[in-house]
Amino acid sequence: MECRSVQKKFSAYQDRELEPREQERVKNHLQICPACREQYAGFEQVWQTLEGLKGVHPDPWFYRQVVRKIKEPREQVLFPTRQHVFRFFRIPVAVSIILIVGLLTGTYLGSILARFDLFPFPSSPVSDSRVLTSMRVFDPAPPGTLAEGYYRMASYKESDSR
Amino acid sequence: MDKEIPSEDLMARIAKGDEDSFQILVDRHQTSVLNVIYRFIGDRTQAKDLAQEVFLRVWQSAKHYEPKAKFTTWLYRITANLSINELKSARRRRWLPFHRSEGSETAIEETFSNEALSPEDLLLQKERNRQISDALQSLPDNQRMAIVLKRYDGLSYNEIAEILDCSVSAVESLIVRAKRRLHKKLKNFLK
Repeated sequence: MECRSVQKKFSAYQDRELEPREQERVKNHLQICPACREQYAGFEQVWQTLEGLKGVHPDPWFYRQVVRKIKEPREQVLFPTRQHVFRFFRIPVAVSIILIVGLLTGTYLGSILARFDLFPFPSSPVSDSRVLTSMRVFDPAPPGTLAEGYYRMASYKESDSR
Repeated sequence: MDKEIPSEDLMARIAKGDEDSFQILVDRHQTSVLNVIYRFIGDRTQAKDLAQEVFLRVWQSAKHYEPKAKFTTWLYRITANLSINELKSARRRRWLPFHRSEGSETAIEETFSNEALSPEDLLLQKERNRQISDALQSLPDNQRMAIVLKRYDGLSYNEIAEILDCSVSAVESLIVRAKRRLHKKLKNFLK
C-alpha cells in the first residue's frame, strides 16, 4: 500500500469511517511505516488537544427559562417597531381626525341651517336699490363718477334754459 | 423511568401539548445542545440563549415533526442552522469576530472550578482553553460545525451530512481541511 494513498485516509481512519477491510489495511501500514506513523501522530495530537476544550453545564433553571420563552407573547418581539411607530404618530393622527370630523360636522350643520333659514344672526339681504345701483355701472355715466357730475350739470342747465 | 421512553415517542406526546414529556426531553438533551452551540460560537451566555431558542423551536414544531430520521439528527439540525444563522446575522451587525459577552471568562472558571485545580493549573487550563477555542473559531462555519459534531458528539459522517444538508464526501472533506487547519494553528501548542 502506497504511503500517499494511506495518508489521504488518515482522517477517515481516525474517525473510524473506513470500511473494516480498509481500516485494517491502514492499521497494518502504520505498524510498518515510521514516516506515516509520525504523520498520523500529528492527527492524533490535534484530536487529543481538542479534548481540552471543556464543555459547560446548563443552569438548573434552564427548563423554566425555556417555558417562560414559550409563554411570553412573541408579537412584541417580532414587531418591536409597530408600537413605536404608533406612539410617534399618535398626536398628529388624533389632531387630523378631530379636524376632519369638525369640518364635516360644520359643513353638514351649515347646510341644514341654510336650508331652513335657521341662522341665529340676521341675514343681510342685498337691497333692491343697491342691486339697481350696481347694475348702473354699465351706464354711459355711472353714478358717483365724474361723468355723472358733468351729466347732471348739463341736465340742470338744460332745464334752467327751458 | 424516562430513559425508557424514546425521544421520538416523547415528541408525539409533546405534539399533544404534554409539558411533562417536554421537560423530560429538555433534561435529556439540554447539555449536548448547549455544548454544541458553546463550542461553535465560543460564548456561554450566547450559547444559553440559543439553546433555549432551540427548545422553543422544538416545542413549536412538535406538531409537524415526523420521525423520518433519528431525533438527535433533527435536533442537531435545528441547533446547527440556528447557530450558523445567528453567527451570520451577528457578522451583518458588524460584530466580527462574534461578540463575546462578559460571561465567557466566568464560564471557563466555572467549568474548571469543579476539578479542584490549583491556581496555577487553573490559569494554564484557561490559557489552553482559550487557545483551543481561538483555533476552533478560526475555522469556517461549516468546518467548525462538522468538527464539533464529530469530535465532541461522536456523530458519524452520515449523520453530519444530514445535519449540514450536504453529501458524505463533502463532510469528509470539511473534516480533513478542518484537521489540517487546526494542526497548523495549534502547532506551537502541540510541541
